[in-house]
Amino acid sequence: MTFVKINTRRFFRDKLAIFFTIGFPLIFLFVFGGLNSGDKDISFNVALINHSDSSFAKEFVKSTDGKKSVLKVNKDVTTLEQAKARMSRSELDAAIVLPKDFGAKKAGSTIPSGQAEIVYTQNNQQSASALTSILDAQFKGINARYVPNETPFTVKETQLNEKSLSAFDYTFAGLLGFAIIGMGIFGPINVFPELKKMGILRRLSTTPLRVWQYFLATMIGQAIIGLLSLAIMFIIAIVVFHLKVVGNYLELALFIVFGITMILGIGLALGGWAKNERQAAPLSNIVVFPMMFLSGTFFPRYIMPEWLQHISSILPLTPVIDGIRMIATEGKHLVDILPQIGLIGLWLVIIYAIAFKVFRWE
Amino acid sequence: MADMITVKNLKKRYGDKQAVDGVSFGVKKGEIFGILGPNGAGKTTTLEMMETLRPIDSGSVTIDGIDVSKDPQKIKYLIGVQPQSPAFQDKTKLKEIIEMFAAAYGEKVDPMEFLRDVGLEEKADSYVEDLSGGQKQRVSITTALVHGPKVFFLDEPTTGLDPQARRHLWELIEEVRAKGISVIMTTHYMDEAEVLCDRIAVMDEGKIVAIDTPKNLIKALLKRGFKKEQHVEQANLEDVFIDLTGKDLREG
Repeated sequence: MTFVKINTRRFFRDKLAIFFTIGFPLIFLFVFGGLNSGDKDISFNVALINHSDSSFAKEFVKSTDGKKSVLKVNKDVTTLEQAKARMSRSELDAAIVLPKDFGAKKAGSTIPSGQAEIVYTQNNQQSASALTSILDAQFKGINARYVPNETPFTVKETQLNEKSLSAFDYTFAGLLGFAIIGMGIFGPINVFPELKKMGILRRLSTTPLRVWQYFLATMIGQAIIGLLSLAIMFIIAIVVFHLKVVGNYLELALFIVFGITMILGIGLALGGWAKNERQAAPLSNIVVFPMMFLSGTFFPRYIMPEWLQHISSILPLTPVIDGIRMIATEGKHLVDILPQIGLIGLWLVIIYAIAFKVFRWE
Repeated sequence: MADMITVKNLKKRYGDKQAVDGVSFGVKKGEIFGILGPNGAGKTTTLEMMETLRPIDSGSVTIDGIDVSKDPQKIKYLIGVQPQSPAFQDKTKLKEIIEMFAAAYGEKVDPMEFLRDVGLEEKADSYVEDLSGGQKQRVSITTALVHGPKVFFLDEPTTGLDPQARRHLWELIEEVRAKGISVIMTTHYMDEAEVLCDRIAVMDEGKIVAIDTPKNLIKALLKRGFKKEQHVEQANLEDVFIDLTGKDLREG
């Protein structure tokens, strides 16, 4: 329809709109993508406080140096007091203290011995216990050199070749969701009240154009812009952040259009109801923010408490994000994600029923 | 000949205020019908009820034999509406606006032809926001005529325009009448009503207090013994203005 063509063309002339719908999510993509890929190699920020002058202790300190070590030793910290201060600011995960007699040979023994102490704060229990087991393993290796012993029970690691989702996969799907919200909800909410204020919608209402026709035109235009914006995000994610898309692109596109349509309904309902910006802004925040935080846009839903997961699982955006992730990175097909599609469909009906009911031309 | 528009005992109430209180009139084909009256007299509300924009409390409006309240969708094809302050979405070219409005009526037109009619041919590729007030009014008029309506509503079309643009708009409105379209307009300018309108209805407090041709209304007033201070004026200030700045339409 002519409306679609002209409004889409108009969108590309509006630099601000381009920035908010395409540029803004891209910035988030870089920020969050950067955060996540930095986390890939596990390492601990520790302070190493050596009170011993035995050769063994010196050697141990040396061994923690080097790029490959999982320990990142902060060399500025030399006393436990300093370490404590830094730990309380979470700059350090833990401090390793080597006592005065560490590595010394005890009377009646020919081999060096000692006990390293790991000091940590309450917040860092996890990294401390991980650190303990790492050091434990290191000491075991050292022990074996001095005392040959048998190890009847051992653990062997076997890596499964199956793919599991990386944190980035979750983040990326969430960011797509964020982009869809930005487009589908903030788009009409910003545009409609403006058109109403200027009497443009009112002028249209004197023509035989019907509400559903107007909605449809808006929808098609937004879906085109949305697909384009998401496509750019996919390309950047694939090129820069090595996202692996295993799913079928056509299915993905279909699903995304379906999702955009539903989310856009929320925007049409809110923007169609609101008489002016003052009504639209708070309303959209009430609707958007819970969805933004609970549906897994910025952090994955699995880290939430279970009751919250239950609530967030029925929010409109959740199935959209889950579905995109399932198709794109898990390689599922549309038939596999029928629950998600069903939920979106249900919301679609509810939302559009409301949207048509509350729409006002002026 | 039967009237193109028949309004019978039209009423509209907002809260305690009877905005329109039993208005009746008829408009012929190819006639310019003016509705005059102070602000709040109910002019715009009357117009909006005729344009299907506001529900009618009681009474009826019939346009070309079709009842407005019964079949508003059909009425929309018959009428063209020029709102008080025309506005268009920005970042849209003139020819696109015409295409859009034509599309709203399910029609495909040659936008250039319509722009030529209102002398905006060379602006076809400009954005609406770069037009002057008079140019916007002219765009608005063409958009209201894309589908070839039988009735054309104008709400204070020349408010805020300079004398040249006003005169140009008058010519356009007369051209519309020449096509056989009935024009209904409101205005606050008596000179405009006198020059343009074939018949005038004067409204006050929701009622029509007089309805006739401008000449007859003036005659009737004189008959009642009204005397204006006589001074023979060969020209007025507007004549001076037009003489000094030229009659041609200014763009800008």
